Amino acid sequence: MSGEEGLPVASAEEASPVPPSREARREAIAFVVAAASWLVPGLGHALLKMWGRAVICFLTVGVLVWVGAGMRGNLFNSRGNDAFDSLGYLADLGTGGFYWVAKSLEKNGPDVSRADGDYGTRFLATAGVFNLLAALHAYEVARGHKV
Amino acid sequence: MTAWGLVGLLSAMIAVKLSHFQALVLFALVISIAFGFLGRRRPMDRVKYILWTLLLFLLIGVGIGWAMYPFSH
Repeated sequence: MSGEEGLPVASAEEASPVPPSREARREAIAFVVAAASWLVPGLGHALLKMWGRAVICFLTVGVLVWVGAGMRGNLFNSRGNDAFDSLGYLADLGTGGFYWVAKSLEKNGPDVSRADGDYGTRFLATAGVFNLLAALHAYEVARGHKV
Repeated sequence: MTAWGLVGLLSAMIAVKLSHFQALVLFALVISIAFGFLGRRRPMDRVKYILWTLLLFLLIGVGIGWAMYPFSH
């Protein structure tokens, strides 16, 4: 087999050292790891036996959510009025199970009339975005594309 | 203690009052440590990365704060 410029080109089966069935299985496992990582921060890395990263992911999201809720940051919901509310909701949802923890921690609701509440909103959104980043990292590791 | 009991305890423990600078330092510290652990594998590389990221967070944060100072009046 040769390419347009006469260079030899391997077919997909020849190029991949891993058989397609194993590749599909690895992809499925990677999806499970990513979902677990999103739902419970650090669980994806724990499933991959990366204990240090698992603990750090859990603590990072936990501390950010705890402080964010303590500052009475705004936890967005699905009934947003504009694109920023929807983006905020997506970011907050990134915390997975911690979204409901934050909701239960904020017994008096958000208060963004003070600067503290505004900072808290950023802490909560950062927790979600960081958790999504960690889930993506766990997914890439499970696929064998990262160490 | 049940999970919801723990949530109740945590909820009672927090009434976080932080100044802007304290919030900045806490944020920078937590995120720097997390990035260090996710982005690097060897312990020494992690420490270097954490310190470097923390320094940049603080310098850029304080720098932006000063840059915005004239607009606050």
